[in-house]
Amino acid sequence: MELKDDDAGLMLRYRDGDAAAFAALYAHYKDPLYRYLLRHVRNACAAADLFQEVWSHLIATRARYEPRAKFATFLFHIAHNCAIDFFRRDLNLRRVMPVHESESPLLEAEVPEHQRPDRVAEFVEQQSALLAAVAALPQEQREAFLLREETGLNIEEIARITDVPIETAKSRLRYAVRKLKNSLRPMQEPEALRLRTYA
Amino acid sequence: MPDETDELDEYLRGGSDVSCEYQRQPAPAPPHELDRLVLESAGSLKSKTPFKPQSLAPFALAASLLLSLALMLAMVFGPQVKKPDDKAQVVRVRIFKSEPPRATPASPRERNPALWLQDINALRRAGRSNEADAEMRRFRSAYPDYIIPISE
Repeated sequence: MELKDDDAGLMLRYRDGDAAAFAALYAHYKDPLYRYLLRHVRNACAAADLFQEVWSHLIATRARYEPRAKFATFLFHIAHNCAIDFFRRDLNLRRVMPVHESESPLLEAEVPEHQRPDRVAEFVEQQSALLAAVAALPQEQREAFLLREETGLNIEEIARITDVPIETAKSRLRYAVRKLKNSLRPMQEPEALRLRTYA
Repeated sequence: MPDETDELDEYLRGGSDVSCEYQRQPAPAPPHELDRLVLESAGSLKSKTPFKPQSLAPFALAASLLLSLALMLAMVFGPQVKKPDDKAQVVRVRIFKSEPPRATPASPRERNPALWLQDINALRRAGRSNEADAEMRRFRSAYPDYIIPISE
């Protein structure tokens, strides 16, 4: 997907009161942002909440917007922070919820839907082998890969979004690509075998 | 290590089968309800934009000024008529069983019928009959039921 630099100009227009500029930005970024969140947090309900949270944050802070980077970097940095908060809340919830208590019918309803093992399994089953492999990546590698695929941003911009050195971002992306390539091999090998058999 | 670098470079150039496979996947989009919520909160959906009271501020100011001016004009040039009392008026009706209403005596002396009659007699004795008759008519109107002694 090609991201335009003049999106920062649209954001400036929205900052100055042009609501139509926001509509243009939204139309351009809503799908990649939604997919990034959905495949990063691996839960549709949580992704929808985060999606709304990201745009609400952008709307609320528009008066302070200054185009110091590409608009995509700005937007996905907000998304990254929202996702980090989500994972932190998720981790805290699991810490205060001992395993034996989670079996209690009373507390079961309080466990977020996306944490239920049956839901996670269902989510993975619905995906292709590649998306299942993406979902199985470590969180940081998954994010680096999704940012690259959904925004087309380069390593420097991905590093900026995720607040890490460039080498770290590059390393994460490298590991992610290697694991995903490996996940594709079982799909490709039968095809190769079939071709060899016919030959 | 060179293989790893080449692998990443190939991926970044867009020639990787990983990238091609990912882009072939179905692309889920946010639900329309989310679109509506976000665009509404951004003010991009004009038909459902939340009401902004500040947009009516100029009209409110103009209306206040007009009202103030009208009040000032009414106070300066308006009719100086006392407003009728808004309170319900109570009409007191006194029912006289024995004595009908009579004229109030004019002086303290006239409040005493005996003294008033003495004055009338004095006028009559002094030859001022017309005045005595006039006073007697006043006396009668003030004390219509008073029984005048025969000597007077």
